[in-house]
Amino acid sequence: MDIEFQKRLLATFRDETREHLAAITAALIALEKSAEPDKRQAILETVFREAHSLKGAARAVGMAGIESLSHALEGVFAAFRRQEAVTSPALFDLLHRATDTIDKLLLTGETYGSAATATPVRELVVSLEQAAKRALSRPSPPEPPPAEHAPLPESQKTPPADSAAASDTIRISAAKLDSLLHQAEEMLTLKQAASQRGAELREIMAALSAWEKEWKKVRPALRRLRKLQPAPAGHPLTGADAAQPGKLLAFCEWSHDAVKSMELKVRGVAKMAANDRHELDGMVDSLVYGLKEALMLPCASLLEILPRMVRDLARERGKDVELVISGETVEVDKRVLEEMKDPLIHLVRNCVDHGIETPGERRRGNKPAAGRITAAITLNDSNLIEILVSDDGAGIDTARVAAAAVRHGVVVRDQAERMEREELLGLIFSSGVSTAPLITDISGRGLGLAIVREKVEKLGGTVTLASEPLQGTTFRMVLPLSLSTCRGVLVGVGGQTFIVPAAGVERVTRIDSGALRTVENRETVELEGEALSFVRLADVLRLPRKERPGADGGLIQLFVIGSGASRIAFAVDAVLDEQEVVVKGIGPQLARVRNIAGATVLGTGKVAAILHPGDLVKSAIKGAAAPAAGAYAPEAPEAVRRAVLVAEDSITARTLLKNILESAGYRTVTAVDGIDALTQLKTNEIDLVVSDVDMPRMNGFELTTRIRASREFADLPVVLVTSLDSREDRERGIDAGANAYIVKSSFDQSNLLDVIKRLI
Amino acid sequence: MDEIPKKPMLRRTKPFDWDSLRQRLQASREAVGRELTPDEEKAVLRKRARALARQPMQEEAGDGLDCLEFLLTYETYAIEMRWVAETCPLRELTPLPCTPPFVAGIINVRGRIVSVLDLRQFFDLPQKGLTDLNKVIVVHNGGMEFGILADEILGTRSIPLAEVQPPLPTLTGVREEYLKGVTAGRTAILDGARLLADKGIIVHDEIAE
Repeated sequence: MDIEFQKRLLATFRDETREHLAAITAALIALEKSAEPDKRQAILETVFREAHSLKGAARAVGMAGIESLSHALEGVFAAFRRQEAVTSPALFDLLHRATDTIDKLLLTGETYGSAATATPVRELVVSLEQAAKRALSRPSPPEPPPAEHAPLPESQKTPPADSAAASDTIRISAAKLDSLLHQAEEMLTLKQAASQRGAELREIMAALSAWEKEWKKVRPALRRLRKLQPAPAGHPLTGADAAQPGKLLAFCEWSHDAVKSMELKVRGVAKMAANDRHELDGMVDSLVYGLKEALMLPCASLLEILPRMVRDLARERGKDVELVISGETVEVDKRVLEEMKDPLIHLVRNCVDHGIETPGERRRGNKPAAGRITAAITLNDSNLIEILVSDDGAGIDTARVAAAAVRHGVVVRDQAERMEREELLGLIFSSGVSTAPLITDISGRGLGLAIVREKVEKLGGTVTLASEPLQGTTFRMVLPLSLSTCRGVLVGVGGQTFIVPAAGVERVTRIDSGALRTVENRETVELEGEALSFVRLADVLRLPRKERPGADGGLIQLFVIGSGASRIAFAVDAVLDEQEVVVKGIGPQLARVRNIAGATVLGTGKVAAILHPGDLVKSAIKGAAAPAAGAYAPEAPEAVRRAVLVAEDSITARTLLKNILESAGYRTVTAVDGIDALTQLKTNEIDLVVSDVDMPRMNGFELTTRIRASREFADLPVVLVTSLDSREDRERGIDAGANAYIVKSSFDQSNLLDVIKRLI
Repeated sequence: MDEIPKKPMLRRTKPFDWDSLRQRLQASREAVGRELTPDEEKAVLRKRARALARQPMQEEAGDGLDCLEFLLTYETYAIEMRWVAETCPLRELTPLPCTPPFVAGIINVRGRIVSVLDLRQFFDLPQKGLTDLNKVIVVHNGGMEFGILADEILGTRSIPLAEVQPPLPTLTGVREEYLKGVTAGRTAILDGARLLADKGIIVHDEIAE
C-alpha cells in the first residue's frame, strides 16, 4: 500500500479511536455510579457498540493489538449486557487499564506482533476473557456466547449521535485555522486605521471651514480693491505695474473657487470613506467572529478528563468522591482551553487530596460519607468565562497557611497575626506555601497554586478563592473567551498610551482630588463607602510625572484593579478610550517584562504596551512602602515655564532633546521637520526654537530664514543643532539668522542648556 | 542555523559612469563600420578561447565575511549578513517602562512587534555627541530576534578573512568577547552568534512575591 496513504489512514484511525476511547471511559464511569437497571442497560448498549466499532476499525488498519483488546472488551460488555453481572471496582480498574493500553498502543503505533507490548496485551486479553467468563458462569438463561463476527444491524454500526451532521463536517488541522484567525485579527488593525483616516479627513474639513471663515473676513477688503481697478490716475503704480493688483485679485478669486471645489471633493471623499469604513467594520467583525467561532471548542474536551482522574485518585486515597460537572457545552477559544488544562487538573487534584476528608472523618463531622466536588464552567454576561472548582471538604486552615507562609519567609510573624482571614487565604497563591502536612505525590509541593495563578494571569484573567472551615473551598477563575484579542481600556500616562485589559478592570471613574486621604503615609480613596489604596500609574511604571494630579484641585481619573484586600485605584493622566485590541507578543528578547503583558498596534499605527494587571497590583503593593508625598520637586508655576520647540526628524534624537529640556524645567513642543515646526509655531506659544539642520521637506536653514522673514517671529531665538561642521555651514547658519550653532559631534547637554539660558 | 536566507539589501550605488559609456558606444560604432578579415576573426576567436580557458582567479585570497556595515556614534561596525533579517528606518519607537536602559523600545515591523536595542548602552560605550540613531538592523538566529539601532547603514561588502585582525578592545570600547575582529580600516566586526546567544541580553524580570 502507498506509504503516504497508510499514514493518512492511521492518522484518521487515531482520531477515531480517541473518540471511541473517550466514549468508553465516560460510559464506564457512569456505569460504576449508576444503579438503575434501565440506565445501565442503555449505557451497556453504547459501550458495546463503541467497542465493536473500535474492533472493526483496528482490523481495517491492521492494528492487531488494539483489535484483540477491543474484542475482549466487547466480550465483557456483552456478558454484562446479558447477565447484569455484579461489578466490582477491581473489574472497573481492569477495564480502565484496557482502555489505557489501547491508548498507548495508539501512540506508539505498535501492532500485536511487537515484542515490547505483546505480553502485557496478551495478559490483559486473558484477564478480560476470564472476567467475561466469570460473569457468564453465574446462573443465567443459556444463550450463545457473543458472536463477534455476527454482523450488527446497520443502524448500530454508525455512531448514534450527530450521524446526520457528520457528513457536513470536515476535519481541518487546528494550525491552519489558527493561522487564518491570526490573519483575520490583523484586519482589526486595518479597521482601526480606517477609523483614524476618517478622523483625519474630518480634521481637513475643519481646517477648510476655518479657512472659509478667514476668507469671509477679507472679502470686504477684496471688494473695495476691485472697485479701485484699474488704478485711478495719480496712483503710484504706473504703466505695466498698474495691472499687477488686478492680476493678484483675479488669482485670489480663482484660489477661492479652487479651494471651494477641493472642499467639496474632500467632503465627498470623507462621506465615502465613512461608508467604506462602516462596511469594513461589519465585514471584518463578522469575519473575525466567524473564525473565532470555528476555533471555539466546547468545554467538554476540558472537563471529560476529570471523571476518570477523580475516580482513580479517590480510590488511591481511600476517599469517596462524587464529581459534579456542568458547562460542557460552553464554547471557548481552543487556546484558552489548552492553557487551562493544567490549572484545572491541579485544582481538582487539590480538592481530592486536601479538600475532601476520609469517609470516617466525614461521618464524625455529620457529613455524608461521599464528598462532593463541583467543576462548573459558565459564560457570564460580560463575555468572560467563569470556572468554579469547589468541594464540601474541610476548608483551608488559615492558621496553617500563616505558619507555612512565615516558615517560607513570605510574611513575618506579626504581619501574619494582623492579617484578616481573606488576606491569609490569598497567601496560598504565594510560591512556597503549602498546608499539606506530607509532601504527597499528588500535590503539596507548594508550587501548584502559584503556577495556577501565573497561568490564569497570563491569559489576562483572575483567580480568587473562598473557604469556610468545615464547609469547603471554592476557587473561582475568570478568563477571557478568546486569547488573541481582548477589550482594553486606553489610558494616557506621562505622554504615553497604555492599554489595561478590560477583563482585569473593575471600574473606571473620576474622583475629586479632595476625596484623597492619607492614612499612615499612604494615600487612599473612598469609593462607594470602601477605602482603597491609591497609587499613580506613573510611579508604578517609574515614568516621569510632570504634574502632580490633583495637587491643584480638580478631577483625577482612575481605574480599579485587583481583588479582595488588594483592590487598588490607579490614577492616570487620562482615560482615552475602550476598544478591541489584538494582543501581540513583544519578541523573544523581552521574555518577561515587569508590568507588561504584551503590545498592540493602534489605529494610528503607533505601538502601545498592554499592561499586566496582576503585576501592577504586586508592584503597587511593593512600592507602597515609599512615601506617598514629598516625592515632587517644587516646580515653577506654569506661567514662568518657558516653552521650547524642538524640530528634529530622528525620533531618538528628538526624544533625547525633549528629555534634556524637560528635566531642565522647560515645556517642550516637538516637530518632525521645518514645515511641521512652522505649523506648531502658529498654534503654540514658543519662546525658543531648537532645530536640526538636515531634515526632509524643509531643512533648518530654510526654517530659520522663514522665521526671520515673518513679522510675528522675527525676534524668536533659534538654535541650530547640526552634524555639518564646516566654516561655510556655520556661516550659512548665521546668515540665515540663527542665534547659535551647536555641532552634534561635540554635543553635550550642558552646552545646549547654557546656550538656551543665555538666549531666554 | 546557518541557512538563514539572505534578503536583498540596499547597496551603495556609484554615480553612473557616462564617460566610459560614451567610449564604448564610440568603439562599437567603429567596429560596425568595417568587416573583419578571416585572419583577424580567427585571432579574435583564439583570444576569446584563451580567456575562457583560463582558471578563474581566486576572487579574494581565502574566504571572506559577507558583512553589513553601519555607523554608530562615528565608529564603523560590521555584522555578518547571515544574522541580518532586514533593515528599516526608525519612524516610531514606543519606549517600554520597566526595562533596562539598553532596551530603546518596541517597533512594528509589518504587524510584528520587535524590540530595539541600543548597543551603546549594552556595551557601556561613552555617549559621544548627538547622532541620528534612526535606522534599525533586525538580527536573528532562528530563536532570538531583535533590532539594533544604527546612525547610518553603509551597505554590504565582503571582508576578506585575511584582513581581519584580532580585536583590539581599546580601539572601540566594545568588550573583546563580542567582537570577531577588527579590520585595518578600523571596522569592528561584531560577533553576531555571540550577541544573539547572550543570556544577558534577554529581559526576564519576574516580580518577587
